[in-house]
Amino acid sequence: MINLKEPQISSVCKKMLTGITGLSLVLFLVAHLIGNLTLFAGPDVFNAYAQFLHHFMHGMFIRIAEVGLLGFFALHIWSALSVQRSKKKARPSRYEVNAYAGGASKKSIHSLYMAVSGITILVFIIIHLINFKYADHEAVGTMTMENGIEVTNVYKLVVLTFQGNFGLVLLYMVAMGFLCSHLLHGIWSAIQSVGLTRPSTIPYLNLVGMAFAVALAVGFLLLPLLIFMMRGTFDPNAVPEYGTHARLMLAPLAPWILG
Amino acid sequence: MKVNLKIWRQAGPDAPGKLVDYSVENIDPSQSFLEMLDTLNEQLVKSGQEPVAFESDCREGICGNCGLVINGIAHGSKGGCTTCEIRMRQYNDGDTITVEPFRAKAFTLIKDLVVNRSAFDRIMSKGGYVAMNAGSAQDANLQPIHQDAAEAAMDAAACIGCGACVAACPNASASLFVGAKVSQYTWLPQGQVERSTRALKMVKQMDSEGFGDCSNHAECEAVCPKEISIANISRMRREFTKALFTR
Amino acid sequence: MIKKPTLDAKIPEGPISEKWTNHKFNMKLVNPANKRKHEVIVVGTGLAGASAAASLGELGYKVKSFCIQDSPRRAHSVAAQGGINAAKNYQNDGDSVYRLFYDTVKGGDFRAREANVHRLAEVSNSIIDQCVAQGVPFAREYGGTLSNRSFGGAQVSRTFYARGQTGQQLLLGAYGALMRQVDAGTVELFTRREMLDVVIVDGKARGIIVRNLVSGELEEYAADAVLLCTGGYSTVFYLSTNAVNCNATAAWRCYKKGAHFANPCFTQIHPTCIPRFGETQSKLTLMSESLRNDGRVWVPKKKKDDRKPIDIPEEERDYYLETKYPAFGNLVPRDIASRNAEEVCVQGRGVGPTGYAVYLDFADAINRLGKDVIAARYGNLFAMYHEITGDDPYETPMMIYPAPHYTMGGLWVDYNLMTTIDGLFALGEANFSDHGANRLGASALMQGLADGYFVIPYTLGNYLATEKPAPVNTNAPEFTEARKQVSQGIKDLMNIKGKTTADEIHRQLGDIMIEKVGMSRSEEGLKEALEEIPKIRKKFYEDLCIPGDTKDYNKELEKAARVADFLELGELMARDALERKESCGGHYRVESQDEEGEAKRDDENFCHGAVWAFQGPDKVPERLIEELHYEHVIPSNRSYK
Ligand SMILES: Cc1cc2nc3c(=O)[nH]c(=O)nc-3n(C[C@H](O)[C@H](O)[C@H](O)COP(=O)(O)OP(=O)(O)OC[C@H]3O[C@@H](n4cnc5c(N)ncnc54)[C@H](O)[C@@H]3O)c2cc1C
Ligand code: HEM
Ligand code: FES
Repeated sequence: MINLKEPQISSVCKKMLTGITGLSLVLFLVAHLIGNLTLFAGPDVFNAYAQFLHHFMHGMFIRIAEVGLLGFFALHIWSALSVQRSKKKARPSRYEVNAYAGGASKKSIHSLYMAVSGITILVFIIIHLINFKYADHEAVGTMTMENGIEVTNVYKLVVLTFQGNFGLVLLYMVAMGFLCSHLLHGIWSAIQSVGLTRPSTIPYLNLVGMAFAVALAVGFLLLPLLIFMMRGTFDPNAVPEYGTHARLMLAPLAPWILG
Repeated sequence: MKVNLKIWRQAGPDAPGKLVDYSVENIDPSQSFLEMLDTLNEQLVKSGQEPVAFESDCREGICGNCGLVINGIAHGSKGGCTTCEIRMRQYNDGDTITVEPFRAKAFTLIKDLVVNRSAFDRIMSKGGYVAMNAGSAQDANLQPIHQDAAEAAMDAAACIGCGACVAACPNASASLFVGAKVSQYTWLPQGQVERSTRALKMVKQMDSEGFGDCSNHAECEAVCPKEISIANISRMRREFTKALFTR
Repeated sequence: MIKKPTLDAKIPEGPISEKWTNHKFNMKLVNPANKRKHEVIVVGTGLAGASAAASLGELGYKVKSFCIQDSPRRAHSVAAQGGINAAKNYQNDGDSVYRLFYDTVKGGDFRAREANVHRLAEVSNSIIDQCVAQGVPFAREYGGTLSNRSFGGAQVSRTFYARGQTGQQLLLGAYGALMRQVDAGTVELFTRREMLDVVIVDGKARGIIVRNLVSGELEEYAADAVLLCTGGYSTVFYLSTNAVNCNATAAWRCYKKGAHFANPCFTQIHPTCIPRFGETQSKLTLMSESLRNDGRVWVPKKKKDDRKPIDIPEEERDYYLETKYPAFGNLVPRDIASRNAEEVCVQGRGVGPTGYAVYLDFADAINRLGKDVIAARYGNLFAMYHEITGDDPYETPMMIYPAPHYTMGGLWVDYNLMTTIDGLFALGEANFSDHGANRLGASALMQGLADGYFVIPYTLGNYLATEKPAPVNTNAPEFTEARKQVSQGIKDLMNIKGKTTADEIHRQLGDIMIEKVGMSRSEEGLKEALEEIPKIRKKFYEDLCIPGDTKDYNKELEKAARVADFLELGELMARDALERKESCGGHYRVESQDEEGEAKRDDENFCHGAVWAFQGPDKVPERLIEELHYEHVIPSNRSYK
């Protein structure tokens, strides 16, 4: 599937593809992050969210999203690596001295090592999937929602996974570092790749992109870090206090999980 | 003042190359970088050695002939200027300066610091113009052009074709060169007729010349002696994609 | 002096404004189907060469285009900054074809051919149309119409410009047109080739010998006609505003094969250049003439005054242009400004490390208008100056000095742009035709494009249709012979194996040229030059050193071959200057001045072009003349007092 052979596709299309897939993956991350953050609203909210994902459109949604994501990843990886490959071929003899020109340049370790950060992210994603998606969901059991429905207690899974597992938290920190690095260049670059910049907007887009990258990485880290550090606050066996804020939060999702 | 030089010497495209140490003394700070190399060459010639081959012509930053990578940066670290515009004033007594050729597969090396940039000509032959035979033009003022558009076209047209963008790009991509040409004509009414074919054909030629793809490092803009914006690359991508669907 | 029979310029009959129109109609045409059977060689890809090659390709001829650089786009035309003239009268300020014609003839100090200049003015408008249609991004007004400025002291605003890069933008237009023809297959491009000889078969130019500058091999190319568009020879002075690869070689080798050389001594020295700093300088940088609008030119009254300029009080400064020419002050024409700068420096009142510079002071302008206004007008020029010299013109006066800039002389051509060798044409700065003894600003670009886009397509067609050249190929013995000669010439240079570099000799020649055949010329100095140049030439052939191999990329060999030609051309320039015992335009003979020390023309004896015919190596060339007739612009004196 990862075709490393010379692509018969124009360099501009290739960039469009990296950009569009990259941006889509960023959008996915944003959605994923919002979802993750619901954990702080309490186990019922978080579990409800998980329940929602798996049952929305009778479970079709998650299937489609998974296939789509897989496709986007594949396209992203293929097109991005093919850009990287062209680079090796286009400069067979290397410079003896390498430097940064500064000024308008956006060349940095982040931009230079996109493949390294990308591949690290890939490895991380596999570990991440093993940890959660393919974890033993039976083991954590279920939780009873306010309306009496039994849902898988993903909250417990998450809290148990991170609690006391310094190694894993460290891994997440490193991985998010790479993600941040990837996106420090990636976000603005993708906007440029799909042709949405002008001379006047480039500096701003670059800044906004970098801020976004940091925000995403920090956002994702909040969860493992806080769970790890604030043992008392996150109780794997916590039982929600129904009738408070949770109702409000869940209102939009009511037809699927509460009704 | 005195400087120590490490200069890339390579007898021919297939010969092995290496950095060779030289030093030049009694440099006048008003001397240009190339004049400093002239002085070195005169020393070499007088001592019966082959001078360092490098190119230049106008020596005032407009012909695009000169082009060296100095301490790892195309056209040197000052920015916004060509190699021939660099003055020795910029360096300190005793500095060591490494000088390398523009390196890219599409720019085959001819000798020492001289490379072949004819790939640019071939790209230009695929649409870097408005097809207009001599003698068939209408009066020049019949078609007003908004001043902003004319200025934007001029910003892009300022490219001198030196190839520093390729040399500086970690991917050896020619996107800025092609982007500038493609977008210049999009601003002008004269450029509209061939707008789609130009983008398609020039990009195709660029791809076939062995340049790398662009990773948006923007190093090209930083070394461009005419400070041409990478927004032109963005514009080229829009043009190209639009052309794919509308042609 | 015995006047030689005048050369026939083949000027068409009829009233001046109809000559070109009638001539176009009377010329023979090549059948469209036959055009591709005609091969044409175009040497040079500057404005003249690129526009000619492109236009001929568009017509269907098979064109071979040659240049020294690695790309046609790098020809020296690219460096022109100021602009290009045309008689559009878009500003409604009284311009017309006739006025442009009139100004150009007068500006040339009555040493240009009226008919040619009128044609130039006529086609000037088509040039702007053509360039705009090609997408040249000329400056525009808010309303979207083309913007003009007044340039070089012209009284109308007729100069079109594209920032400070007019030459580059025009050249990119012509280069684009050329590359389009390359893609279409009508033009074949040969870059990194230097023409070293023209091949003559049966009295007609039928091909060229070039050296491939990468492989070092000699190559031969045959054609039905050869167009020389190889630019000017200001680099004979070593230091000039021209690019370092500019040369006279192609034209000079043609001269030695029978193409006559006209008015070699007519050179233009531009007054506002950054002075030289020392021995190792390779090039002089032009600063826009517009600086003289606000800058005041002065030198200390005292000789060898080495105080800092700000320490020199007003009363000890000599604002020599303002005192001498109260009406025009600092804005006198190029030649006068240049000559006066030289004069004060020769008196020992020059400033700067070499003593060859004068101040151009903006202190008054800054006081009067404020720094911001000055920065808005000249900011980038000041920055460039600061960068090059290390001095900040806002704080201390600029230093300027004149530098060789343009050569009005060149191969003699008739009205059809054909030299005295049949089938050999010369276009652009390489010919002598349109600027007389002095070129006005922004008219060289105009001439190059006029020749290439709008004149040669007609006159070349006429030549081919009339002459019907017989087929020829490079197997002809004339090619073998020419190649042998060129090859021998190269070997001879390589075999000298001396100790002096080509640049050293070139610098020595340049010193003599600028001192004795430069801004002001005296009989004595010219005679000295005529003695000294052969001595340098002798040294060149005895002590030249060229390392490396002929069959390789070899810059020293390239330079040496060019210097060899400059050493001969320099002598001809001195000889021409000596023979022209009058002052006119850029040619100022100290013996020929009026009571006030201004240039004095001698229309009685010198109202002609001096046309030099090669007589053989080491023989004095013959001086022929082309009689000039002024029917419309009656010769008058220029006065700027
Ligand atoms: C700094 C500067 C500023 C100027 N500004 C202006 C201005 O504002 N307005 C204006 O009107 N004029 C200006 N001029 C003058 C004008 O630029 C030139 O006169 C004009 O461009 C000459 O054009 P050309 O086509 O005749 O020759 P060039 O542009 O000089 O081209 C010569 C061509 O011939 C080739 N060539 C030369 N010798 C050989 C050989 N032996 N074999 C093969 N090829 C050869 C070269 O490679 C090149 O392609 C300026 C000149 C200078 C130096
Ligand atoms: C969540 C996961 C990921 C996100 C959000 C993401 C996002 C992005 C974005 C936005 C870009 C910029 C696109 C462009 O320049 O046009 C990019 C580029 C890149 N990505 Fe990813 N990416 C992800 C995963 C990966 C993975 C797994 C790899 C793989 C190996 C990878 C390799 C690359 C490379 C090499 C580039 C640079 C392409 C170039 O040089 O132009 N990415 N990524
Ligand atoms: S030599 Fe012309 S740009 Fe440097």
